[in-house]
Amino acid sequence: MTEASQGRKPEDAAEEDLRLIERVLGGDRQAFEALVRSHERRVFRVTLAVLGQVEDAEDAMQETFIKAYRHLKQFRRESRFTTWLTRIAVNEALQRRQSRKDYLPLDESSSAQQQKFPRRFEPWAADPENLYTKQELRELVEKAIRSLSGIYREALILCDVEGMSAKEAAEVLGVNVAALKSRLLRARLMMRDALSASLEQSRPLARRVVDTAAEVKNMMGMMVMRVARRQG
Amino acid sequence: MRMLTCEEVLANLSNYFDGECSAELRAQLEDHISKCRRCRVVFDSTGKMLKILVDVEPFEVPLVVSARLYSRLQKVLSEE
Ligand SMILES: [Zn+2]
Repeated sequence: MTEASQGRKPEDAAEEDLRLIERVLGGDRQAFEALVRSHERRVFRVTLAVLGQVEDAEDAMQETFIKAYRHLKQFRRESRFTTWLTRIAVNEALQRRQSRKDYLPLDESSSAQQQKFPRRFEPWAADPENLYTKQELRELVEKAIRSLSGIYREALILCDVEGMSAKEAAEVLGVNVAALKSRLLRARLMMRDALSASLEQSRPLARRVVDTAAEVKNMMGMMVMRVARRQG
Repeated sequence: MRMLTCEEVLANLSNYFDGECSAELRAQLEDHISKCRRCRVVFDSTGKMLKILVDVEPFEVPLVVSARLYSRLQKVLSEE
């Protein structure tokens, strides 16, 4: 989860959220800004996952935070603020998607994109994250996510990036758990295949082996020259 | 222990990584994976992919988008 990677445990982040919410309800607008700062990335990611376009995602994100501010009193502490906010963001994005003229609901049974089976079977590098910088890897991941159509993209983002359970994600998206799980499995298989080209052992490692061989050859050549010179 | 088919193994890919399978099923899956190269590749790479998805934190909010969010919020909140 995002909080964890920012060096905060989810429980600590949730407690900090509660403290900020108290302050906002007491009239402190600065506290709301702090709340927005720690959640804007998640909200943007979720609205982008549902809508697929930055412009639409931006509008949905703005509306999400405005609604969250106006309805903050209705936030019940039995769920985490993150879950509550994500639900608002998904609703906001789904409403926008349904009102979009070009939106065609995807029929899962006839979708050309559906994939039930993996297609690539080359092993991945032992530590694929070492093959690229974090920025390069992020770009590869974003490109692969963008290649998924909406229902797969949103399932993957909610479950595998935001860390929701299939049950939670199904609930916020308004689909049944079985449907969500089947979308998630396909999304994962498609992602795996899409990333395989860049992360399989054979490609990047083969390049490194060739480089290493060339380096060794080069080094040996240098050594032979140095010895010859010393003896000459 | 009955050996699962590759299809059964694949159908349980998500259950395995989401911790939603019984100890018995888990053992059956791991047994199959240790003997079947294809399934081993799929499970190994899926595990790596799931870790990468969390580690890279995809999709940053573009700076202009973030700036517009704060200015809109400031305006709306001051009018509440
Ligand atoms: Zn198999």
